[in-house]
Amino acid sequence: MTNSKKINKKDIGGLLKEWSQEFTVFIPWRESGVAMLDKWDGTDTGFIDWYRNTVKPAKANFFPPMEEMFRFQKGREGYHIELPLDEHKQLIFGIRPCDARSLAILDMTFTESYQDPYYLPKRNNAVLIGLGCLKPYDSCFCTSLGISPAESTDVDLMLTDIGDQFLVKEITQKGKELIARASQVEEATEADEARAKEVRKAAYGKVTRRIDTKAISEKLLSCFDNQDYWEKVAAKCISCGICTFLCPTCYCFDINDELVKRQGARFRSWDSCAFPIYTKMPMENPRVEKWRRVRQRVCHKFEFYPMNFGTIACTGCGRCIRLCPVNWDITQTLDKLPG
Amino acid sequence: MKNREMEQRLRHEAKTWLEEGKVDYVIGFEPGSLKFTTTPLITKDKDDIDRLVINPFMVNNLSVYLTEIKGRVGIVAKGCDSRSIISLIQDNQVVREDIIIMGIPCPGLIDLSKVELWLGRDRDELDDITRDGDRVVIMVDGKERNFSATEVLFDNCLSCEFPTPQEYDVLLGETSSLVADKIASRDKIKKLEGMTSEQRWEFWKGEFNRCLRCYACRSVCPSCFCKQCFVDESQPQWLLPVPRWQDNLMFQIIRNIHVAGRCTDCGECERICPVNIPLRSLTKKMYELVGDLFHYQAGMDKSAPPVLTAYEYTDAEDFIR
Repeated sequence: MTNSKKINKKDIGGLLKEWSQEFTVFIPWRESGVAMLDKWDGTDTGFIDWYRNTVKPAKANFFPPMEEMFRFQKGREGYHIELPLDEHKQLIFGIRPCDARSLAILDMTFTESYQDPYYLPKRNNAVLIGLGCLKPYDSCFCTSLGISPAESTDVDLMLTDIGDQFLVKEITQKGKELIARASQVEEATEADEARAKEVRKAAYGKVTRRIDTKAISEKLLSCFDNQDYWEKVAAKCISCGICTFLCPTCYCFDINDELVKRQGARFRSWDSCAFPIYTKMPMENPRVEKWRRVRQRVCHKFEFYPMNFGTIACTGCGRCIRLCPVNWDITQTLDKLPG
Repeated sequence: MKNREMEQRLRHEAKTWLEEGKVDYVIGFEPGSLKFTTTPLITKDKDDIDRLVINPFMVNNLSVYLTEIKGRVGIVAKGCDSRSIISLIQDNQVVREDIIIMGIPCPGLIDLSKVELWLGRDRDELDDITRDGDRVVIMVDGKERNFSATEVLFDNCLSCEFPTPQEYDVLLGETSSLVADKIASRDKIKKLEGMTSEQRWEFWKGEFNRCLRCYACRSVCPSCFCKQCFVDESQPQWLLPVPRWQDNLMFQIIRNIHVAGRCTDCGECERICPVNIPLRSLTKKMYELVGDLFHYQAGMDKSAPPVLTAYEYTDAEDFIR
């Protein structure tokens, strides 16, 4: 008798079908060559064998690139406001441990600073089914941030690929309840658990890129005013929004109204500290120079967020390195911080 | 000249420029932090110069930095990059005397996303990539896979007419032996031309639905040199910075019209798009239209006025209705 369950890969389709009665099921999928979490079509289970991570991080399911905050109509008595009712329950199958951790990090911002009325309902209604990474990218450095590519407690159920089956670990009560209703699931043997352990260990060993978080926290504060250093590392940055938009923990947003013929909507959409206009204010812009913006991004993740919430706002997913048009590499910048 | 010899020459020249005070900065390529990548090296320190490399992965169009860096610059330029530099000179964004151009006859660059599609493997899973003339040999899973260069070069490289820089102070090596495939380079565009306008609308709707408005296409583009982009203006607000497909498409159409006559088909916008929108299908089509209508190619003559700022009696006007 073990603490784990297992399920045949060929039964995943049936299981997701059952769950899709209650949830909108999302799976990692490639649309036009871009991997993202997509609504499952209800039949194709090819995604089970896809072993990399998505381009668009899981945050997009809870904090989408754009959303309507409310609609309004201008009438004789003033504005009539309509709030969206977004209580849809999503089940994300195959979220990777780094992205699952990113949601735990975002929870801090969206619950401790204030209760975000758009993020939280989606988050509370969601079920996360994690799937261990077997083949991390060469840009990944999750292990330096206390994440194991094939283990997670930031999900409701955690799956490990053990060949023809997935080993299933129940992490939360929500996860237990889901499994209790699934007829396709059976008890795992000790051999299954041993196999899963090997898989996790092998995956861990495949992450070779590293950062030294302890040294970073010591050095960042003292080199904050080292303009020479920041200018040097920022030189090749082109100030696009890729690293922030596709960062699973970046959460900055912009708010805009649209009014057409007496009615309209208020939108919020992703914003980026890499954009020069991000800090544009009536009289001045404190981050006109690129090096200040680059410094802001690095310090927010590795200095300010730890000060505010006690954790680094980076999961080592490597998207900002892998997708950067000029291969600006945050691990190099952190590695060479002057003391 | 082999890449290694060109590298030695480049390093020697760049060091001399810095030592003699001819330039304040050198802009070139150094090895990237990931397999099969390079990254821009922008430095005023001669000790950094030995990191400069020349290889089939130097994808960036470095001329994008010229409008930003203050001072005299020594810059590495491939054929298309040199045309971007000329275009910037034409637009009074760069002063010719302030730059030293190290021209590289470019044999075309390897499009890793094509390689990934052919092999069903990601970049970091490949063991080795070597280019030998019109062949590209890739080692993956311990096996050797052979490709014709036309199968794995960037689309824009396959239609490149001027692989040898049009403007340079030093040319590294002789003219390049580019492997062209004009038909393959237009595959995506031809498919779009064969569609009805309704089908095209649906196609672009789907593509721009994915756009995140990260503006990387604008950031990598040397022709996008506006101090303030129209899309960042709030009074009046031409477009909401909200990534709805209609706004995204409108942004890209306006950007295209703005760079028409300046775009040299360097292909950077399409290469860097994180959500794979085939942006070159728009920019290259525009490039062709500028050629057909005004008999003009961007970045060929630094003393010529930019095409859309000058008027000739022979200009086409039958499209004005």
